[in-house]
Amino acid sequence: MGLELNKVTSDVKAMSTTLASKHIEIQDKHKTAKNTLEQFVNDDLLQQKITKAISLNWTGAIPTKEPINSSFECPAQPQIANIIATDGSQIYPDRHGKAMYFLINTGSIVFSHGSNEAPYCSSQPHLFYQDHDIYPNGSLISNAIINAKRDIIELQELSKLATREDQNNPTVLMLDNGLLLYLGLQTRENSQSAEMLQEYLDTLIKIESTGACIAGVISRPRAANVLRLLKLHDIKDTSFNEDEIRSLYPYNQLTDRMLFNFLRPGERSAIFVNASPQNLKSYMPAGQKIMFFYVNTGTINEPVILRVEVPEWVTQQPDKLSIIHSSIVEQSSFGNGYPYVLMRSHELAVVTWEEKQYLDQMISNSMHKNQIYTEISKKAFGKTLTNSAKRRHRR
Amino acid sequence: MSDKNMNNNSSSIPIGRMLRSDTTGFTFGCNLPEPDVPLFGDFVKAPAQQGKIDIIGVIYNIFIEDDLLVKQLITVPQLPETYIQDQRNNRQVPIEVSVLSIGYVYNDTIIYSLPPQPPVTLDYINTCAKNDIVQFTKSTDYLTLILNSNEPSIDELIITTLRRAAEARSIEEQGLFLFECGKKLARLLSHDPYKLDSILRRLKVNYEQNI
Repeated sequence: MGLELNKVTSDVKAMSTTLASKHIEIQDKHKTAKNTLEQFVNDDLLQQKITKAISLNWTGAIPTKEPINSSFECPAQPQIANIIATDGSQIYPDRHGKAMYFLINTGSIVFSHGSNEAPYCSSQPHLFYQDHDIYPNGSLISNAIINAKRDIIELQELSKLATREDQNNPTVLMLDNGLLLYLGLQTRENSQSAEMLQEYLDTLIKIESTGACIAGVISRPRAANVLRLLKLHDIKDTSFNEDEIRSLYPYNQLTDRMLFNFLRPGERSAIFVNASPQNLKSYMPAGQKIMFFYVNTGTINEPVILRVEVPEWVTQQPDKLSIIHSSIVEQSSFGNGYPYVLMRSHELAVVTWEEKQYLDQMISNSMHKNQIYTEISKKAFGKTLTNSAKRRHRR
Repeated sequence: MSDKNMNNNSSSIPIGRMLRSDTTGFTFGCNLPEPDVPLFGDFVKAPAQQGKIDIIGVIYNIFIEDDLLVKQLITVPQLPETYIQDQRNNRQVPIEVSVLSIGYVYNDTIIYSLPPQPPVTLDYINTCAKNDIVQFTKSTDYLTLILNSNEPSIDELIITTLRRAAEARSIEEQGLFLFECGKKLARLLSHDPYKLDSILRRLKVNYEQNI
């Protein structure tokens, strides 16, 4: 037995006591934040504070013309719509394996809402093994860059599928993450990051040209952009510095999700602009500024607050914004608060432990045919002998 | 234990591909079942020994698995058809169909015993055409293999299999065919009169309803 549960019993007890007291503290903070939201005034002073904050790399939320404490009912879902979702999974390079490679697998579902037909499902693996893939800057590719590549491939797959769809019917594309590409720390890989970001933006532009609309859906979001706006609202004037706005106090430990739990089932919050420097410096000039809102896809007793990110051009077309809102709510009613198509695309994308073993075996056999004989590391071999009973915990 | 000239009738239909097998039977997978195939008690055939033989079997179980997502969806009131079709056509596949091997055909000769080798993975499984069924069931020796199997619902399987075999014949031939099968069952089940009685009664009811 690796984990002797009896040895953590007292820690678990202490942990639950700590969490209980923290819960009370958070409830108080939540009350304060709700009051600020209700009394929020979007005036010239706030605009000046926002302008200054942006110059200090503030990552808050910029209000739009919609009052920030407003809520919007779920519009009716059109009778017919194409709802397409893509998700991806990856196998990272394993230096203990027989060969260095990484794999990205996408799973997609094209759901014809109102058609009564079975959706079209597919998955597409992408194997990377060339030196320029594995060692793009002379050193091993980082997991963050592989994740970014996965996000780009997911978006490209959506773009491809959107092009194929009948444009007479509205088409909604969904991803299960935000639309701001995360590229890690962007140090040694700066030039590669810039290229990847451009590729991502080009794909968003292509999607816009298809007439489809796109949304990134985030489950249980940890973001606090709107809370940062409340914090900025609380500050008296524009004489603040970077450190002051970096701290979330008195709203630390809260999330926007908690703030918007007043939304009734199906309702969305106001729309905000994500003030992240990446959005304003790269996405906005490309005409792909990312906006976001929160939506309750749960029930009265059990609210489920999702964060939805959309490009600005979606918010400028009421029919597109409306169908994204209604599709997410409608799909979530069959997915326990999470869009059904995203659940299914994840299912189609995921690479199981067994499938990875089969792939490794295929690669090994192919190498043997080319007279290349390699072995897994002694450490990896040792794990195959000792880990069999624990495999289920690693998946 | 053999008969000549099993007819390779071209009207047999591929209904699935082999998943797993052993000498006594095999399980094949198929998509969403059609209304008429596969059915419990149907005669099917599968190639083995690289096509040298065709194994004949009868379907004794059709299995559709559930999972957590299906369990969640069944609680949703008024589930739209697209979701249902997704589950049926894209997720719950393959539907598993279990078959009991009851003989094989080698060089146009029917042999009523277990095959020398089971079929291999991904081979096509076909339904038997009516002529195949008539040829195969000219002898009643296959009933021994069914009765000797350990599968549950053997009584049901015998009744349904004999009904299928009877239906493959003309109305005029059906009575005599079932009479001969009844005589064979009386010999095989002489030690179990209650079981025999139950099977024969139900066969009689089936036959009378049919004519």
